[in-house]
Amino acid sequence: MITPEVVDTRRLRVVTAIVQDHPGVLSRVSGMVRRRGFNIQGLTVGPTGVPGRSRMTLTVDAGHAEADQVEKQLDRLIEVIEIRDVTDSPKLLRELAIVKVSVTGEQREQTTREVQGFGGRLLAANEALVIYELSGEFESVESFLGLMRPLGIVDIARSGPVAMTSLAGLAGPEGE
Amino acid sequence: MTGADILLEALEREGVDTIFGYPGGANLPIYQRLHAHPKLRHILVGHEQGAAHMADGYARASGRPGVVFATSGPGALNTITGLATAFMDSVPLVAVTGQVASGMVGRDAFQESDVIGCSQPVTKHNYLVTRVEDVAPVLKEAFYIASSGRPGPVLIDICKDAQQAECEPAWEERIQRPGYRPAFEPDLSQVERAAAALARAERPVILAGHGVLLSSAEQELIAVAEKAVVPTGTTLLGVGAFPVRHPLSLHMTGFMGTGWNLKAVQNADLLMCVGMRVDDRVTAKLNDWAPRAETFIHVDIDRSEMGKNVRPHLEVVADAGTALRAMLPHLVPPPASRGAWLTQIDRWREEHPLRYAKSNGHLQPQDVMIAMYERCADEAIVVADVGQNQIWAALWWNYLKPGLFINSGGAGTMGFALPAAIGAKFARPEKAVWCVAGEGGFVMTAQELSVAVKHQLDVKIVLLNNFCLGMVRQFQDDFYGGVRSEVDLRHLPDFVKLADAYGLAGIKVERAEQLPEAFDFAQRTPGPVLIDFRIDPSANVYPIVPLGAGLNDFWEQPDDYA
Repeated sequence: MITPEVVDTRRLRVVTAIVQDHPGVLSRVSGMVRRRGFNIQGLTVGPTGVPGRSRMTLTVDAGHAEADQVEKQLDRLIEVIEIRDVTDSPKLLRELAIVKVSVTGEQREQTTREVQGFGGRLLAANEALVIYELSGEFESVESFLGLMRPLGIVDIARSGPVAMTSLAGLAGPEGE
Repeated sequence: MTGADILLEALEREGVDTIFGYPGGANLPIYQRLHAHPKLRHILVGHEQGAAHMADGYARASGRPGVVFATSGPGALNTITGLATAFMDSVPLVAVTGQVASGMVGRDAFQESDVIGCSQPVTKHNYLVTRVEDVAPVLKEAFYIASSGRPGPVLIDICKDAQQAECEPAWEERIQRPGYRPAFEPDLSQVERAAAALARAERPVILAGHGVLLSSAEQELIAVAEKAVVPTGTTLLGVGAFPVRHPLSLHMTGFMGTGWNLKAVQNADLLMCVGMRVDDRVTAKLNDWAPRAETFIHVDIDRSEMGKNVRPHLEVVADAGTALRAMLPHLVPPPASRGAWLTQIDRWREEHPLRYAKSNGHLQPQDVMIAMYERCADEAIVVADVGQNQIWAALWWNYLKPGLFINSGGAGTMGFALPAAIGAKFARPEKAVWCVAGEGGFVMTAQELSVAVKHQLDVKIVLLNNFCLGMVRQFQDDFYGGVRSEVDLRHLPDFVKLADAYGLAGIKVERAEQLPEAFDFAQRTPGPVLIDFRIDPSANVYPIVPLGAGLNDFWEQPDDYA
C-alpha cells in the first residue's frame, strides 16, 4: 500500500522555463537544483510549438535559500532561454493523477460517480481493480486522492504539475 | 581538415598562444597535429591539475582565457580542482579534454569517465562534441562564454572519432545563444538612487571585489570614492582594486581583514558592495554583519548574486565599470558630517594597526613580506597559495596597482600558487613573479617545478616554512581547544635539496639579517629560485574573527607578542 506523501507547500516555487532541448539539459537543470540545496517536488518536460525548444514546469522547494534564488540560479544556465517564477502570478496549474484502487460491486459504482463528480473518469477496470484518472490543480488532486485512500490504493502515478500564466486576470474562456 | 586541425586552427583564430596540457590516448589525434600549428606553444605539465592552475594564472595575469588540454578519464578528472578554482573566482578558461570514441561512450571503455557530468558543477558551461562539424562552432562559442559576462571556465569534451574525422569547417562569426545574456545595461534609476544615497549617508563604506579587477574598473572606483568621499576597502580577491595607501583606503575586509576596515563596516550606515559575492569570508556571522547599515547597495554583473547572501535595498545589475561610470555624474559632494566619519576611521586605524611579533628571536613571515615588497617597487606579480601565507601576502604588501595579487580566494585550493605563478609568468614574461607558499600547499603541486626549470622561468619561490600546517594549527590552537591534530609537517623534504634535484637554485634563510642577501640572490640568479624561509612556527594571522562570531569580535595580535 502506498501512502501519498504530504507536501509542505510553504516553500514551494513554481517555475516555468523554455529550454534548448539539447542532450543533458535536464541533468543541468536538476544538477543546479540539487547543488543549490533546493529540492524538486515536481518536474515536467514537454515539447513547445518551436522545434528545438522544450518547456519545463518545475515545482521546487527553495530549502534554506531565498525564494527568488530558484529562478535566478536556473537562469544562469546557458541553455535556459526564458524562465519565470509564476508562484505568485495568476496561472493555470494542472496535474494528472492516475490511481489504481481495489474497489468492487456496489462501492465501485458509487466511487465512480464521485470521481465523475470531481471531473475525473474511469479508465479501465477488471473484477478486482479500477483505474481512475483526474487532472486538476494540486489541491483537487489531493482531495481526489483523499477520496481514494480509504478504498485501498494499489498504485498512483502523478505527472507533476504543468503551469501557464493565465490571461492576466481577464475573465475569459479560461474560466478561472 | 580533421577535427584535430580544426580545433587547433580555432585556437589560433581566438588568439591563443599558450596551451598547458598533457597528452594521452584520447587526445592523441590533437597532439599528432600540434607541430603543424607553430603559433601555439604547448607547455607540458607534470599533472593536469597543474595545467588548469597554470591556465588560471595565465588568465588572471593576462585577462585572456587560459587553455588546458587533457586526455580522457583520469587526465580530465585531474583538471576538476583547477576548474573549480577558476569557477569560484570567475576566471576564464577553456579546457579541451579528449573523450573515447562516440560509439564507445557509456560502455565503460578504457579511460572513459563522465567528464561532462563531473565538470558540470564547476564550469560555466560544457560541451560533449561527437561530430567533427561541431568542433569549430563549439570552440567559438566556448571562448565567447568563458570570457563574456561573469567569466568562468568552459570545458569541451571531444570524442576521439570527432578529432579524426574530416570536414570543411564553417568559421561562423555569429553565436546563437538565445538564453545567454552576458551583459546588462544598469538600471539608471537605481544608479541615480545609489548616487543620492551615497551623498546623503553619514557613514558610508564601499567594498570592492574581484569584479572590479575583472572589469578593469579601478580608475572608476577611485573616481567614485573620491568624488563621493567614501572610505573604500576590498575583499581578499579584490586586493589591488583600490590602492592600499590611498587616504580613503580601508584595506582588506572580512574574516581576516584589518581592524579599521571591520570597524568601518560594522558602523557604516550605508554599504555599497561592487563586484563581489558577499560570501561568508566577507560577512563572518551573517546576522551580525553591518548591523547599522540602513542602505545596502549591491553592484554585480550576476543577477543571481542579488539577495543570494544579503538582500540589497538597491540592486545595480551590471559590469562594475559600466555601473561606476554611470554613477559618477550623479554623485554630489557629501554632507559636512562626512568629515567626522573619516576622522573616526583614522582613529580606528591608529587603535587597530596591523601588528606582528618582532622580537622573539624567530624569523617573522611579515618581515619576509616587507623585505620582498621593498624589492619589487610595486611592480611584481605576487601569487599566493592558501593559508596563513595567503593572508600575510595580502595584508603586508601595499598593492598600489591592480592585478598584481593572484590567489585562490574562493575555492581556497592548496597547491595553487606554484602552477599559477608559472602560468602568470608565461602570460607576463616582463613582470617579476613571486610565488608565496607554505610548505604544505607547495608539496601538493611541487612537481611543476620541472616546468619552471625546463623553460628557465624567472619565478621566485618564497616558501614560508613553519614545519606545520599553519592555518589549521592556528585554528586548532584558537578555536578547537588547542588540540593539535595532524598538522605536524616535519616529515617534508629538505627543500633546498628538492630544488637541487629539480635543477633550480635553492637557499635556506633562518634569520632576518639574511633577508637582503637572500633577495639579492633571488633577483640576480636567472631562472627559478626557491628560498626556504624557516619562519616562526608560532606565527599567526591577525586580526582574525573567531569561527562563528561576528566581525565585531575580531581578535588582534596579542600584546605580549607585539
